[in-house]
Amino acid sequence: MKRRALLSGLAGAAALAAAGCGSKDSGSGDKAEVTIWQQKFTDQEDAWYKKAVAAYNASQNKVKVVHQIVPADAWDQKMKAAQAAGKAPDVFTLNYNKVQGFARTSQIQALDGVIAADKWSGLQESVVGSITYKGKKYGYPMLVEPSAVLYYRKDLFAKAGLDPEKPPTSWAELVDFGKKLTTKDVSGFSTAGNQIDMGWSTWGLQWNAAGHLPISDDWSQPRANDPAYKPLLQAYQDLYKQGIMPKQPLAPYADATPFGQGKAAMMACGSWAASVLLSDFPKVVGNVAAAPMPSFDGDVTKPTATLGGWTWVIDGKSTKAQAAAEFIAYVLAGDPALLVDYFKTTKFSKYSPRTAVADTISSDPAAKENPWAQTIQDKVVKYAKPEPTYDWSISLAFGKAIEKALQGKDIDTALKEADAEIKDIIAKNNLAGQGTTS
Amino acid sequence: MTSAAGAATAVAAPGTRGASGSTARRRRHGDTKVAYLMLTPLVVLLAIFVIWPLLHAVYISFFTWSFYAPSEFVGLDNYVNVLTDQAFLSSVLRGLGFAAMVVPAQLLIAFAFANLVKSFSGRMAGVLKVTIYVPAVISEVIASIIFTIIYAYRGGILNWALGLVGRDDTAWLGETGTALPAIAVPAIWIGMGIASLIMLAGLLDIPEAYYEVASLDGAGWWSKMVHITLPLMKNIFLYLLVTGFAGSLQFLVVPLVMTNGGPLESTTLPNLFIFRHFTNDLYSGYPIAAALLLFLVLGSVSAIIFRLVRSEKAVDG
Repeated sequence: MKRRALLSGLAGAAALAAAGCGSKDSGSGDKAEVTIWQQKFTDQEDAWYKKAVAAYNASQNKVKVVHQIVPADAWDQKMKAAQAAGKAPDVFTLNYNKVQGFARTSQIQALDGVIAADKWSGLQESVVGSITYKGKKYGYPMLVEPSAVLYYRKDLFAKAGLDPEKPPTSWAELVDFGKKLTTKDVSGFSTAGNQIDMGWSTWGLQWNAAGHLPISDDWSQPRANDPAYKPLLQAYQDLYKQGIMPKQPLAPYADATPFGQGKAAMMACGSWAASVLLSDFPKVVGNVAAAPMPSFDGDVTKPTATLGGWTWVIDGKSTKAQAAAEFIAYVLAGDPALLVDYFKTTKFSKYSPRTAVADTISSDPAAKENPWAQTIQDKVVKYAKPEPTYDWSISLAFGKAIEKALQGKDIDTALKEADAEIKDIIAKNNLAGQGTTS
Repeated sequence: MTSAAGAATAVAAPGTRGASGSTARRRRHGDTKVAYLMLTPLVVLLAIFVIWPLLHAVYISFFTWSFYAPSEFVGLDNYVNVLTDQAFLSSVLRGLGFAAMVVPAQLLIAFAFANLVKSFSGRMAGVLKVTIYVPAVISEVIASIIFTIIYAYRGGILNWALGLVGRDDTAWLGETGTALPAIAVPAIWIGMGIASLIMLAGLLDIPEAYYEVASLDGAGWWSKMVHITLPLMKNIFLYLLVTGFAGSLQFLVVPLVMTNGGPLESTTLPNLFIFRHFTNDLYSGYPIAAALLLFLVLGSVSAIIFRLVRSEKAVDG
């Protein structure tokens, strides 16, 4: 029954993908057709992608780029179906943390040979590290965005007798402030509340608490059972048990809407939340301040976030790699004005890893439109770590440990179980020795 | 008809028996050909969309299989990995528990509703049938969203209603104790329409004469229910039990949309478990092996139900 459903679903989805999204040469005269799939972001971002594709199509007459927006929740299954049918798009957007796994399994091609060496200059070294596998570069970075920033309501701070200019700097303070800010209708603090969201949104906090991630750098040993992780799990347990964070997530971690609606006094969310607040909740903007997530020992120079973001890659089976690469280079490594427009569109809530673009943005007076950008740049991005590149199941195992603590389970046991699960994942997937950086 | 006519001719004229017999055989042979011809499209479709994918799935379950990197034969490793994965075994047990919540409730409510519809006149019965069937035509995604709004912790309708009688807000989908029963409710709701209509068809199929005769013998409502309705509905119950259990074990969209399998995997049903592996794993051997093992579980559950509730050929009606 399940098999039938799975395979017929796969066949159906593959047929749809083949009908709607495959690379085709027909219908565009002599022009080669290159397809790009972009994960659905905000309407403004989607509009920019359309504009960038149109600009490239108008700039030359050899290649026609066909653009498709794919909803985030349908992305994985649609992509799998397209890959199964050999109809994956030539170019697609990919998170940094997935690049090395995709490169290892040949799902994407190395770009060194198809994008000229001079196009790679002026990129942040740490970001280039995220897209490099065995010495070759497998994606062209588009943007970075810190995964965790503390946004808080200054008016509610004042109402609760707290100084609006002094956000919490330690987790003890976060719990204390959260308790004072919690009312029947407003949660003191809102953050990720399930293992999937906690699996990635706490990468920075995992660094903060223990100075490392829950697997050794070469991916040969689990490191989840380090007692240094206990304060992290304890903090989540306290926040949940004391009713400071909602018993049921108000929305997925990446969604800042409930905070904009006034359902939480403090919120942990990525830098992208700024764009949502500025676009959808302009009335609350004046009352919102941003700060780095608190550190476990109050040291503000420790990482509290990871630098995630998006890169463009070329499918491992694409037969039009050169044409696809020229398109990527035109948009991401060409005239900075095109990309600056993207960062303007997103209210300067994301950051460019390309010096030429970052410099133009910093000198743009419109950048002041985002009142939190400078704080995030100076206090969060500066100390942030790159996203880990190991398999998602490792992150999920640690996210599960935090969720166990949150649900009131014993913290030592939760960490031990995560350690055992990561050990099992390493063995079953032959990960030992595959890690170059974590 | 044709064969019977041929046989009659053979009896009437024994001298021509050999010739007639061969005509009948030829006709029978011709019928068989036509039957095979008519079955061919279905068999071809079945082979393409069911048999070949099944055999291919079995084949690739023995490999570390991806769409890009060369596959490597690993024998039974994928099966061993699945069977030694506590998370898979837990998801199957959880699925059985979920089915045990959904199916009996669905059968009871559907049976009661079908009896209610039967007792009403034509126009009212029509309205009731449409009403009960509405959930069946609503997509599972929409149903899940509706119930997520009902269960919302802040501003949810259920907590608001319970607040009127002084109860504190409950995180219906946020606590391990309440999440699975909470998602069972929309699952019951979605399946109730079809179950009710099938039950109603079964009830209407029982000849009224049985009840009339029983009434003449002085049988009451309970006696008629126990001695006429329930025995004659046995095959309907069996059908709904088997399809209900198989369907409940395979729920995917409801837990995916409402809880994403949480909290603490308390709503990770087997299909969601496999789906997650299928979309997240770099290799597909593991989820395919898990899907085939779940297929065995479903087959076993159906076989056990058939064994426990033996189906019988209807004697009448």
